[in-house]
Amino acid sequence: MQRRQFIKSMAATLVLFKTPNAVAKALSATSPKSGNKKIIWVVLRGAMDSLHTLVPTFDTELSVLRPKLLASIKDDLLMLDNGFALHPSLSNLHQWYKKGELLPITAVSSGYAKRSHFDGQDYLESGLTNIDHDTGWLGRAVNMKEKQALAIANSTPISLRSSEASTWYPSQLKEADEDVYQALMKMYQNDELLINRLEDGLAVKEMADTMVGDRALNIKKKGQFIELSKSCANLMMGNNGVDCAMLELGGWDTHNNQATRLSRQLKALDQGLKALKDGLKDQWQDTVVVVATEFGRTVKENGTGGTDHGTASAMFIAGGSVNGGKVLGNWPGLKNNQLFEQRDLMPTSNTFSWLATVVSQQWSLSDNQLKAVFPHVDKRTVKLFVG
Amino acid sequence: MATTSMIAVNRFGYGAKPNELILVAQSPKEWLIKQLSQSPPVAFNYSLPSSSDIFIQLHGYRKNKKVAKKIAQELAGKDFDKQMSMEGVVTKKARNPAHKLLNQLSSDAIDQAIRSDHSLNWRLLDFFSNHFSVSASGPVMTAIAPTLEREAIAPNLLGNFEDLLLSVCQHPAMLIYLNNERSFGTNSQINKNGRGKKKVGLNENLAREILELHTLGVNGGYQQQDVTALAKGITGWSVARIGRDEGSGFLYRANGHEPGSFTLLGKSYKKSRKNAKQGEMMLRDLANHPATARHISFKLAYHFISEQPPESLINKMVKRWLATKGNIREVMITLINAEESWHADSQKFKTPREFVISSLRSIGDNKKLNLRQLMKSLSALGQKPFSAGSPAGFSDSGNDWNGGSAIMARINWSAALSSKLSFKHTVNVETIMSNSFGKNISELSYNTILRAESKEQAMTLLLMSPEFQRR
Repeated sequence: MQRRQFIKSMAATLVLFKTPNAVAKALSATSPKSGNKKIIWVVLRGAMDSLHTLVPTFDTELSVLRPKLLASIKDDLLMLDNGFALHPSLSNLHQWYKKGELLPITAVSSGYAKRSHFDGQDYLESGLTNIDHDTGWLGRAVNMKEKQALAIANSTPISLRSSEASTWYPSQLKEADEDVYQALMKMYQNDELLINRLEDGLAVKEMADTMVGDRALNIKKKGQFIELSKSCANLMMGNNGVDCAMLELGGWDTHNNQATRLSRQLKALDQGLKALKDGLKDQWQDTVVVVATEFGRTVKENGTGGTDHGTASAMFIAGGSVNGGKVLGNWPGLKNNQLFEQRDLMPTSNTFSWLATVVSQQWSLSDNQLKAVFPHVDKRTVKLFVG
Repeated sequence: MATTSMIAVNRFGYGAKPNELILVAQSPKEWLIKQLSQSPPVAFNYSLPSSSDIFIQLHGYRKNKKVAKKIAQELAGKDFDKQMSMEGVVTKKARNPAHKLLNQLSSDAIDQAIRSDHSLNWRLLDFFSNHFSVSASGPVMTAIAPTLEREAIAPNLLGNFEDLLLSVCQHPAMLIYLNNERSFGTNSQINKNGRGKKKVGLNENLAREILELHTLGVNGGYQQQDVTALAKGITGWSVARIGRDEGSGFLYRANGHEPGSFTLLGKSYKKSRKNAKQGEMMLRDLANHPATARHISFKLAYHFISEQPPESLINKMVKRWLATKGNIREVMITLINAEESWHADSQKFKTPREFVISSLRSIGDNKKLNLRQLMKSLSALGQKPFSAGSPAGFSDSGNDWNGGSAIMARINWSAALSSKLSFKHTVNVETIMSNSFGKNISELSYNTILRAESKEQAMTLLLMSPEFQRR
């Protein structure tokens, strides 16, 4: 069954019967599943500084280019292999690495050549050589494999556009009476956009009522990454859960006071990812989480204890079956002639080639299907999953 | 299909107040253009504190806190836990004023927009406030973010863009938000005097956003070297510190300015150590650059008219921009006079801010919602003032506001508002319907609203109707 029809029939059902269990049953009965392989896509908005996150301690230029920034974390770094280390705030990710469940990748770039956040994010989400705001790479993959996708957001981000992805975000408002929805359904019958969105909102609301509930949600904390991650895990759990979800975390644009700000940000990321894993329980084994950002930052610290917009950054692939415990990607070096435009970390691999590898291996995409998702990049030969 | 008065009131303004549609009906265009001669274009409650007042308040607060800490230490001796609790007792009365100021100042703007007879001007103010978006994060920005639109944007709203740009880029809120207040040249006097002790340097955040967001646009043809040149040109553009008796507001720190001539977009700008002239010249040229004219004309047409604004419309606006040195009033008159602006279909989906303001205008009595609730409403709908979180501001695209979850939040909000109104006595849904739509409502919407099972539900349906959600 197509996603749209599915949602429609489900919304109709729930308006009539309005029992959460009926919805759960409807979901499990009709959802197209294949091995329950799940993808979670996490976008870090604001250009995360990789040199402060996945730290190349072996590169002697680092302390010259960033004396203050490096000093702020040097003594507490969490060592990986080959002289790479994680920021002290990433203690959970460090454990995942040691267990072989994390793959950090150094010096990646989407190929986006300018240094605008907003354009860079659209580029990363769209996954095409020319940004198209109406279609995203994950949405295309979701369509291809008839997966159910959910954005933990008020509206669909570009990454998931072109698919029938739903959106869910915790509400701070008291809910309206059920009969209002029925009247609205009637009033929207000639308005394709509004009726689709209302049906979608209703379906996800019912799902969230059953699977998330309000039990763990502290009103004040509702919008925090860790809370959103918990809810996200709940909405993906079991046979009723969605196959694919997208989370976003902003606050990475650290032009000043970076040491303090990144400690806080990375801690939020680390704890949120842990909450995802904890919430997914056994499902973690079939889940892959990909974390990426629009670009990196200048290798040299600036005049205000921060860094400005750069080019290459890092990304992470994690999950219960990930063939992890090593740092992927090639290190380009930090000497002046090794930098991009003599100021940024030089990209040595393309973000999309890694994303293509993740989707194609996790969801078994054929080469033709992958071409429709990422027309301009090829997957890599590396085997990302064990077994 | 909407009538011209309906279009004037909704597409260009913040929706109809009671009887406004009738008032406009005679000559919708003139009604709009006349608003652009209003002086001042928008008026705030000026008894609320200015940015200078706020800096003084914040300074006082910090000083009190320090004193309290000292007293607590003396009282509690070396016992740290006791110190902390004593500090709590002593500082109890000295509350950080930032959040209260944010709420007061931003809800004043919304309140004025709800009551205004010149809602076109408020729409324009909100457009430029979002164009020059600043976010309330951290104690200083939380308190001063809303002062940017009051002090730098409103006074220049209908004037030339170069004055608006300069005024914004020299306002403490923008300088602090994009970290320029401490961006100094590596070869500046400060570094030479510093004896290597405390090196300072460039921060290119503001310069990049001026080029990318505020003027030329991301495809406006600038390079990294232009970003660096502009960043150097505005080094030393800083903010006075109250505690050091520097006065208040913009302060040009000559000893932090990078010496030398810099080339921006192929043009060289002479060094100027004594004053801020070098950067000012750069900004004035950027404001009048054809790419800027196009970038902002496009954004205006996208905001007011359609997400696919016709090229012919943009061209008219650009032409007027270049002929009038970027006179915003003239460009707006061109937009209003253009036939492309009056297509009958409503193509824009209201943002939460537009939705909340137009809802309260339609009811005609905003005392039902106090200002704190107003802020909470916008927060629940995803558009809390000064919380865009990025200098690009809030999205102006319908797709970013009409997701399933967002629609559910709007329904909940409409229902909550409707239940707050004491319908039985004061509110007549039919009257509000006629105030809001005149005859511009489909039979289906009209009937569904009238046949609702209660007045509360009817009001919720009215606000959530396709006709009310779009403009």
